[in-house]
Amino acid sequence: MAKLYVNPLPVRIWHWLNAFGFVLLILTGVQLRYVGQIDLFSFHTAVVLHNWVGFVLIANFFLWLGFYLFSDKIKVYHPELSPAKYFKASFRQMQYYGYGIFRGDPNPHHVSVYRKFNALQSMMYQIIMMIVVPIQFASGVLLWDVARFSAIVERLGGVRVVDTVHVLIFIFFCGFIIVHVYLASLGHTPTAHFKAMITGYEDVDEPGAPAQH
Amino acid sequence: MNHMAKRARAALSSLPGSLIVAAFLFLGLAAAPMMAAGAESKLSKEDEACLKCHDKEVGKEHLQKKTEDGKTLSLDVSTKAFIESMHNGTACEDCHDSLDGKTHGKVKTPLASRRELSKSMQGSCVTCHKKKVKQYDDSIHAAQIKQGNDKAPLCSDCHSPHTQPSMKAPMPIEQTPCASCHKDIFKAWAADVHGQERVAKGKTAPICADCHAAHEVKAASLGDALRDGCLKCHKEATQQHKDWLPNAALHFEAVACAACHAPNAERRVNLRLFDAGTNKQLAEKVGVPRFLKRTSAADVANMGLDERALWSLLNEFSRDSGSSGQTILRGRLEVKSGVQAHQLAEKGKALKDCATCHQQGAEPFQSVIVTIAGPDGRPLRHGVQKDVLTSLTAMESVRGFYALGSTRVKLLDYLLILVVCGAAAVPLGHMTVKWAFRGYRERRAAEERAAAAAAAAQSTTPPGQNPGDASR
Repeated sequence: MAKLYVNPLPVRIWHWLNAFGFVLLILTGVQLRYVGQIDLFSFHTAVVLHNWVGFVLIANFFLWLGFYLFSDKIKVYHPELSPAKYFKASFRQMQYYGYGIFRGDPNPHHVSVYRKFNALQSMMYQIIMMIVVPIQFASGVLLWDVARFSAIVERLGGVRVVDTVHVLIFIFFCGFIIVHVYLASLGHTPTAHFKAMITGYEDVDEPGAPAQH
Repeated sequence: MNHMAKRARAALSSLPGSLIVAAFLFLGLAAAPMMAAGAESKLSKEDEACLKCHDKEVGKEHLQKKTEDGKTLSLDVSTKAFIESMHNGTACEDCHDSLDGKTHGKVKTPLASRRELSKSMQGSCVTCHKKKVKQYDDSIHAAQIKQGNDKAPLCSDCHSPHTQPSMKAPMPIEQTPCASCHKDIFKAWAADVHGQERVAKGKTAPICADCHAAHEVKAASLGDALRDGCLKCHKEATQQHKDWLPNAALHFEAVACAACHAPNAERRVNLRLFDAGTNKQLAEKVGVPRFLKRTSAADVANMGLDERALWSLLNEFSRDSGSSGQTILRGRLEVKSGVQAHQLAEKGKALKDCATCHQQGAEPFQSVIVTIAGPDGRPLRHGVQKDVLTSLTAMESVRGFYALGSTRVKLLDYLLILVVCGAAAVPLGHMTVKWAFRGYRERRAAEERAAAAAAAAQSTTPPGQNPGDASR
């Protein structure tokens, strides 16, 4: 198989910082919510850690955003602005994960420099990075100092509403992270995509070679 | 002080001029201040005439009066105590100006009670103490009197008009006027960190009026005046809390100081009715008892308001405000009684363990009340079922109160379990199906390899030769 450089260094730094941070946020978040039932950290340590990691990840988010806004790599999220092609590709990808993969069909998506993501990934990551993550960061900042942002918190319906939104997204990420890790193991070998996110190089079929199952 | 100066001038002017000249000649100018001081404590002939009868030491008779409530009212005024009092510059008739000299002491005038006398004399205090009386008029004590309370203090219940010493002079704590009504609270204070500092160590630790104000006393559980009172002395407290307490400003708003600094007290959640528009606590109007009527109607069994009843209560109060405002609840953690609020411990003993409040089933969240300011300033309370703090459907009602861990919405816990289990089921299910299909994939791969090999062999066989010939 050939090697293709699809994960530039800034993306890899962002990804692993984000991954490590999210795990810490989930662990400290669980601790904050279930004091007395879970004993990973003291409540105070969990609060301090949760706040610091949150701010580091906000800064990290802007590293990601800056990289994609100021490079042509932003194309990986929308290589073609064709809804018809996109939905067709999404359907093929769902069909593959839900049926074809069991039969041993080839993956319909072929990685290239500007087609790093399959259709499902590109849509899901855009929703996560442009909607879900910013809401989570914003609600986290509001909860970090409720009194300072009391006017905004009130306008959004009160501290309980803001917290519930934060918790709902936390629940989503708890599920997402499990599925994300599993899907990442569905490369041509279980560790292929993990290695690619470390080295930057994804294994791709040689031109003319039969597609990998 | 103006009164005293006037009295001194009056006393001097009443002396024969030759005597004054002689005094200056013999004693010199240096003696003048002493003389003035002596003149201040002298009484006018009119006052002496009053005390001739009213001071039992002078008149040799203890004047008393039977009031209509069957009690005996002493009319005794000690000359000595009066001269030593802050009112020694005030003439008797300055306050007792309604007495008729011709009939006084000769014609019996009926008097309902000592309290009625105090009430009738209340107006005379205003003449000199306008500012204090105005402050008093805004107080919970004055509001209670307007509401018909016959025990709330009048001026003379705290200040004895004929013997009142300077309020700036140190006073033995047992003479603190508040103690006569608020006995239990005073006893608790005397034993707590402030009382101990003041009594045992003789330091200037706060006594009642330092926190509650002497005249503009408000209900302790209303507003934030008490917290501000604490911070007035403990100026460093804000920063000290910020140094270790996350969301310190929110804690200052939502947790009464005593909730942590009286570690042995029982705590509860007080959901206070607020007008969202004006951001002021809602108050009942005199003669319109909406709160008690509505809460008792919604909670006939007196089990505490449930989430539906609480929601209805908020809507009813919102409707009263019309389009001008919406009624919301602002929660605060507080101690259950005034006595407990005065059991403040030393700083080192204050609660600092976050888990005291931030865990499921935490003690402070087992008792919940909803309150409104009553027409006399005191809060009117009604119990609320504790489940409203953890219910998803009560989110709108208690949107302004949330404590991590202890008031978390239970439904979200179930959702978390469901999502995590669901997400874990995806790879497990997917791997299981993949494993079940492994034979199929192997057969298919073998067939494809065979087909590919056949195709390759076909492509390498010379034209006219059967590929099967190769095996032969």
